[in-house]
Amino acid sequence: MISGLLLVSAGCGLAALAVAKGAPRLWLGVVLAGLAGVLAAAVLVLASGAVWEWRSSWVLGGEGMHLRLDALSAFFAALLTVVGGAASIYGGSYWSEARHPRSAAVGRCWWSVLLGSLTVVLLQANGLHFLIAWELFTLAAYFLITLDRQAGEVRRAGWLYLAASHVGTLCLFAFFALLAARMGGWDLGPMRDHPELAPLFWLALVGFGIKSGMFPLHVWLPSAHANAPSHVSAILSGVTLKIGIYALVRFSGWLPVPEAAAWTLAGGGVVSAVLGVAFALGQHDLKRLLAYHSVENIGIILIGFGFALVASAHGHPAWGQLVMAGSLLHVWNHGLFKALLFLGAGSVLHATGTRQMSRLGGLWRAMPWTTGCFVLGAAAISGLPPLNGLVSEWLIFLGLFDAAAAHAPASWVALAAAILLGVTGALALACFVKVCGVVFFGLPRTAAAAQAHESGWAMRGPMLALGAGCLAIGLLPVLFYGPVAAATAAWNPALASAFAPTPLLALGAWHLMLAALLLLAGVALWDKVRRNGLRRALTWDCGYTAPTPRMQYTGGSFAGIITGWFAWILCPAHHGRAPEGPFPGQASDAVHVPETVLEKWIGPLASGVMFLAANVRQLQQGRVQAYLFYLVVGILLVLVVAFAGGAP
Amino acid sequence: MMRVMLHLGAQVLLLGLLAPLLPGLITKVKAWVAGRRGPPVLQLYYDLARLWQKSVVLSSAASPGHIAGIAVAWVATLGAALLLPLGPWASPVGFRGDAILFVYLLALARFCTTLAALETASAFEGMGAAREVSFAVLTEAAVMAGLLALGLQSASLSLSVMLLPAAGPATALLVLGLFIVLLCENCRVPFDDPNTHLELTMIHEAMVLDHSGPPLAAILHGAALKLLLFSLLLVQIVLPAGASSPALALAVLAGAVLVLTLLVGLTEALIARLAFNRVPLFLTTGFLLCLFALFVAWKAGRP
Repeated sequence: MISGLLLVSAGCGLAALAVAKGAPRLWLGVVLAGLAGVLAAAVLVLASGAVWEWRSSWVLGGEGMHLRLDALSAFFAALLTVVGGAASIYGGSYWSEARHPRSAAVGRCWWSVLLGSLTVVLLQANGLHFLIAWELFTLAAYFLITLDRQAGEVRRAGWLYLAASHVGTLCLFAFFALLAARMGGWDLGPMRDHPELAPLFWLALVGFGIKSGMFPLHVWLPSAHANAPSHVSAILSGVTLKIGIYALVRFSGWLPVPEAAAWTLAGGGVVSAVLGVAFALGQHDLKRLLAYHSVENIGIILIGFGFALVASAHGHPAWGQLVMAGSLLHVWNHGLFKALLFLGAGSVLHATGTRQMSRLGGLWRAMPWTTGCFVLGAAAISGLPPLNGLVSEWLIFLGLFDAAAAHAPASWVALAAAILLGVTGALALACFVKVCGVVFFGLPRTAAAAQAHESGWAMRGPMLALGAGCLAIGLLPVLFYGPVAAATAAWNPALASAFAPTPLLALGAWHLMLAALLLLAGVALWDKVRRNGLRRALTWDCGYTAPTPRMQYTGGSFAGIITGWFAWILCPAHHGRAPEGPFPGQASDAVHVPETVLEKWIGPLASGVMFLAANVRQLQQGRVQAYLFYLVVGILLVLVVAFAGGAP
Repeated sequence: MMRVMLHLGAQVLLLGLLAPLLPGLITKVKAWVAGRRGPPVLQLYYDLARLWQKSVVLSSAASPGHIAGIAVAWVATLGAALLLPLGPWASPVGFRGDAILFVYLLALARFCTTLAALETASAFEGMGAAREVSFAVLTEAAVMAGLLALGLQSASLSLSVMLLPAAGPATALLVLGLFIVLLCENCRVPFDDPNTHLELTMIHEAMVLDHSGPPLAAILHGAALKLLLFSLLLVQIVLPAGASSPALALAVLAGAVLVLTLLVGLTEALIARLAFNRVPLFLTTGFLLCLFALFVAWKAGRP
């Protein structure tokens, strides 16, 4: 059954490549059919808990094919299909033939390659083939990011992505090669009984950490996600970051993990969460802001995952499964609401032609659907009830509290993490109030914002579907706990004990009740207002007679207090001219937050590497005398070593 | 099921009816300290009744969400109040981990009120909203630390259980820290002056400049409810519940809330407002007090 479904999907994938060039509608249908096949297979595996495995004598690169779909792979595959499907439909009209005649067909090709290679990565149980699929998806993502490569900014973002990804891939080459050398084969599977493999996990941590965008390895992420076409941004942050998480979870389940790595992941998660949202608050570019929120949410996922590793190292299944379940559920949640937000940002970009928040405003009039979906996504990502973000964060909070209450090793770290997770929530709320308020509400700040238009149904539909997903997980969390528990059990069977989710049931009931009351109260108040009489008037601005939209509070000023607290890392740069003299003439002030980590840390590191490389290159300059000299020195060295120490 | 509904209904009625009393009492205390007679204690009830009948003037920039958001904020505050136990009666809708929901319900209320403020396109309201969300970062850290301290003391993360036992070793620190949070979250002096007339210096009042009629009534009632909710939380941290007869416990609870309200009034009357750049420092003090309380609770609970 599962083999059949996956075979059909594979066929669809090949067909999609074939028809991508000329027939967009047919291509969309084929892609959706392929995704539906994978989704069905994933649901079957998640529901039954069975593991599907397939070995073939068909050889690629000297290795026989070995695919495997267990609950953990299926969990991530389900997210891939849902977000991928929504973004495919959206992309069809967002990056249409009419608007982008040069790149639409190419985009469809690479899109098919991306979806296909991501699925293969999730299914792989052979190290060599895993690497091949990994590299293929990295390249496909690169070509999708640079679809609109006339803009220099896009090319730079793509180059940074490619360079950073390959630093990661280099680590993965080392990781898989060493693994294969120690194990005597490329086949992957549980190898927890080889404690000598533990140090290898550090390589995996860096390699997969770069892909998942954990702080400070996130430097490529903001510009890549901001400059990619929005449906690509949606799948990049909704799914491909999670593939990095998937790989970390997968290999930490198979390999022995040094405890220091578990703490590094948890600590990195806390730092990512707090600093990710701090950087987001400083951004003026809508999509770059959303990209920094991906860093934040990856941090939340890693907090849960890191503590789950600690729990399984010390044998605390009770709270271990809570944090792991929260972490995995947050993978789904973030996939849903971040894709929704990126698609919303895409609709804004589509309608107004700008991503600069200070040029937007008042879009709710022209774009009520987009506004509604975006605000829903914003509430969900801020972890507000009755939506899905709270459910996963609540599970993590509960696990962290139980860890502290059990006085587990270093339980004070769990307390610190819980407090900082709360702070992250408050910061995210501040940030999304800023985004929604500045972009969608108030008055339009420019003509472009005033003349915005709502996007078509092909773009609205996917947003509504993703929003419905956020609402469904929020209102009926128990329904979605089954797959999470199955994936947790597949990761570490020790955490599989039957957790009766009674508190989760109570939370779901609360959410349902709350949703009903909110609806009721909203309608009742509107009705009362209508019956009392409603009159529109200008906003009261202290009696000022000629208010203009430019007098509104800007995003920069809104976030100013908090970015001031984080000035030590954000290093905000002020440009402008202060008012001078008794009758000041023109004055201006602008603040922008640079890519501090890239410019201050990674940049100097990279120039150091370049400097070193340039000096090493001096050795190779094509003069025969020099090479003879090297030979003589080399032979002398060998002689010295042989006579002095090497001979027995 | 029936009992739960009755209990919920009684709690909603009790809290909803008593909440507007607190701001009136605070104003009375302030007037009394200043040697004035002051408005009647029930003034807020009259205001609410009058506002409920009035028609609405809505900013031409605002969307329908401007009004719906206010309703959402009110329901969220009420929901948070329903999670609190009342003396010997545990909350009928409490569950393990409801303390987290409590914090996030208050966050939902904040999300809606600040967004409604930004809808009007007024710079004053933007300023108020910016202050509200920024200071809330620090108060949320303090509340989180305080709730974790209570949780560690009682080995539970359910408010009804957390507030049940008598004061633990960390109580003094915790009460002081949460009192600072109460003052900030409810926009009292020294953080905000509910009676100020200068829009530039307001927080909460600046956000509601453009509300009128029933929505304004909902906002005012919600603010009073939030004050009552924080007072109840603070009082029940100190008072052990369930030891005496229900009637006595309820009377003690009411008396303690009264005392706390008088204390807030005295603070308002005797302390000057802080400059805005001092506010984060003072809030950090509150957070540190809660953090030390957490530390004490953690040390005390160690096997």
